[in-house]
Amino acid sequence: MDVHLAQILRHDRGLPALQAQVTQLFEECREDVYRYLLTLGLDPARAQESAQEVFLRLYASLKKGEQIQNPRGWIFRVAHNYGLKVRARQSNESAFDADLESWLASPARTPEHELLERERMLHFHRAVEGLSEQQKRCLFLRMEGLRYPEIGAALGISTSAVGEFLRRAMARLRKVRDE
Amino acid sequence: MSNWNSQHLDDGLALRYLDGELPARKGRQVRRHLEACWQCRAEIEALETTVADCMRYRKQVLASRLPEPPQAWVDLSRGFDRIDSELSAEPFWKRFAHLPPSLVWSSGAAAMAVLVCAVWYQLREAPSVQAAVLLKKAVAAAENRPITPRRYRIRTHSAAVTRVAGVSKSAEAPLPAAMAAMFADAHYNGVDPLSARSYAGWRDQLSEKRDEVTTGENAYEIRTSTESGDVASATLRLRANDLLPLEGKLEFRNQDFIEFTDLTEAPDLHDGSPVATLGESPVRPAEPSRPAAIAPGSSASISDELQVLSALHGIGADLGDPVEVRLSSGHVEVSGVGVSPERQRQIRSAVESLPHVEVAFSDPGAAPASVQATTPEPAPAFSGTTSGQTAKLQTRLEQQLGGRAELERFSSRVLDWNEAAMARAYALRALAQRFPAGEDSNLSTNDRTVLRQMTREHIDALEVHIRGMESVLAPVLTALGASTAAQPQPAGSSAWQLSAEQVFRSSRRVEVLLSQLLGVASGEKPSADLPTNLLAALRELRANLDECKGLVGQ
Repeated sequence: MDVHLAQILRHDRGLPALQAQVTQLFEECREDVYRYLLTLGLDPARAQESAQEVFLRLYASLKKGEQIQNPRGWIFRVAHNYGLKVRARQSNESAFDADLESWLASPARTPEHELLERERMLHFHRAVEGLSEQQKRCLFLRMEGLRYPEIGAALGISTSAVGEFLRRAMARLRKVRDE
Repeated sequence: MSNWNSQHLDDGLALRYLDGELPARKGRQVRRHLEACWQCRAEIEALETTVADCMRYRKQVLASRLPEPPQAWVDLSRGFDRIDSELSAEPFWKRFAHLPPSLVWSSGAAAMAVLVCAVWYQLREAPSVQAAVLLKKAVAAAENRPITPRRYRIRTHSAAVTRVAGVSKSAEAPLPAAMAAMFADAHYNGVDPLSARSYAGWRDQLSEKRDEVTTGENAYEIRTSTESGDVASATLRLRANDLLPLEGKLEFRNQDFIEFTDLTEAPDLHDGSPVATLGESPVRPAEPSRPAAIAPGSSASISDELQVLSALHGIGADLGDPVEVRLSSGHVEVSGVGVSPERQRQIRSAVESLPHVEVAFSDPGAAPASVQATTPEPAPAFSGTTSGQTAKLQTRLEQQLGGRAELERFSSRVLDWNEAAMARAYALRALAQRFPAGEDSNLSTNDRTVLRQMTREHIDALEVHIRGMESVLAPVLTALGASTAAQPQPAGSSAWQLSAEQVFRSSRRVEVLLSQLLGVASGEKPSADLPTNLLAALRELRANLDECKGLVGQ
């Protein structure tokens, strides 16, 4: 769909269809972008506002004639950088923490057959939290479907560094299952 | 990994294979290996299980347990309308910034404008701009900048070389061994030292560092100090308007240093200046070896010095090696700093059989202040930014030669000739200054013959380089509209030494104009007559060279 959209955007730029296409992309991806921004430490209100801003920037860039081959990669790159700026502005506040640990660690009202899975996810979550910031960023962006070069562009690191960060992250996460 | 059947995949390779990030050929090799190897297949499956765990975590934890957006999502159409009206209200000139990227120059300029605004804004907002951010922007700016050859000089205590960035590296001679070793010790990229990427690469590998960013007139300066490694501190100066690196320096703990300076941005020699008004080269004038009247015998004479010079000339050590020859305390001292061991051996072997010779080489770190390299340091000759006129010429040149790659090859070839020609012009001038007009009459007939032989060899070699340049350049310049100037007149010198000085000056003029033509540098006002001027300068050089040759033969 991304490629298709990119083609449409390239050939049909300037028409009202552009707004429709960005709107469609917004509806499909906004939750993912919002969640990614939460994991960056933005509070929910700022994360939502920032996610909306990212799609408006996409529209503005396309209107200005920018060639965007992979809109999803572009969106996450801009979201990452914009999110960091917003985070920097709220630097006097502590980063948002959804406290997933507490939820995962409290088995109350969890059906018995889900307990095992909940426990596994708790271990997995702890392993994710134990990753370095760069490993975590690479992992989250990869989970959002970005390719190594796109992740590298978003984080300002080389493609090979992305590969290495992901390798280490996966090796660490794999241990959770093996333990 | 040539034999995939006998070597198992490491987990990095396996992950890149699963993610489709391997080049097609390598991917096929891995696939063939997996067909044969159960162990690696099991590894791949385990990795896929971890991938599945990640996605389950994303779905079950991140997607379901992170807080919902606090408000309903807005309709973006209002935002679209705002953007539309803002864009339509933009002044005309600003719309140039939105041209498609196919117009590289235009979009590059727009990117620069945005970049400059962003940097200015950041500096205004936060006085302590992080060096990393500035470097990152400078790297991005370099990537957006059209690739044009740029000349820069690398200088150490003992040597200086001029290099060209933006051309095929294979076209360049390797760095002198001592210089390359210093870069290696510094863990700094010596292939392209004057770049934000190289500086960032060096800075990133430091385990401990302190940065300072200062804003000077039209430039930012990043200074990084560290307690680790051989380098105590490094600086990089970036031009404010486009973050082009202007100069950099590595300062070693042993007081040694490497400087790299963009020659494109140095003070200019005006394009239209007559040869006679061109500035002096900053090259250290070779001191005449005195006294000329030292008699042959127990102590060294000017004759001994000449023999040493001749021996060094015989192995090409007068064409840029950091070797100094002086007549002092009854000896001919041959000294050098930072000369490679192999070259030291050659030099010793060339002069050791000669009388009254003392040879002393030293390491760069222990260089006595009085010893200077004889490597020519070309005068900083250029300034300003690429003008429309130069850009237009560049485009025409590119079209005429058949594309950018051809232009690069052409530039590389001509600049190589020019480098070689300048080395000869410097050597010729050094001889003229060491044995000034009138004083060479103190030499014996035999010594005069030796001196003139050396001089003639420099002239002949220079002539070959000039002819080479002319044969390639003349048709191109004519096609660019150069008119055939009137037959140039030589300077009318009375002695070969004076003529050698004119040869040197006309060589410099050719170098300046050539650099402008090839976009390696630009003068403030590159003349529309640049092709005509260059052709005329080449012919003038030939005329002066012919005159010099004639005078040497007398």
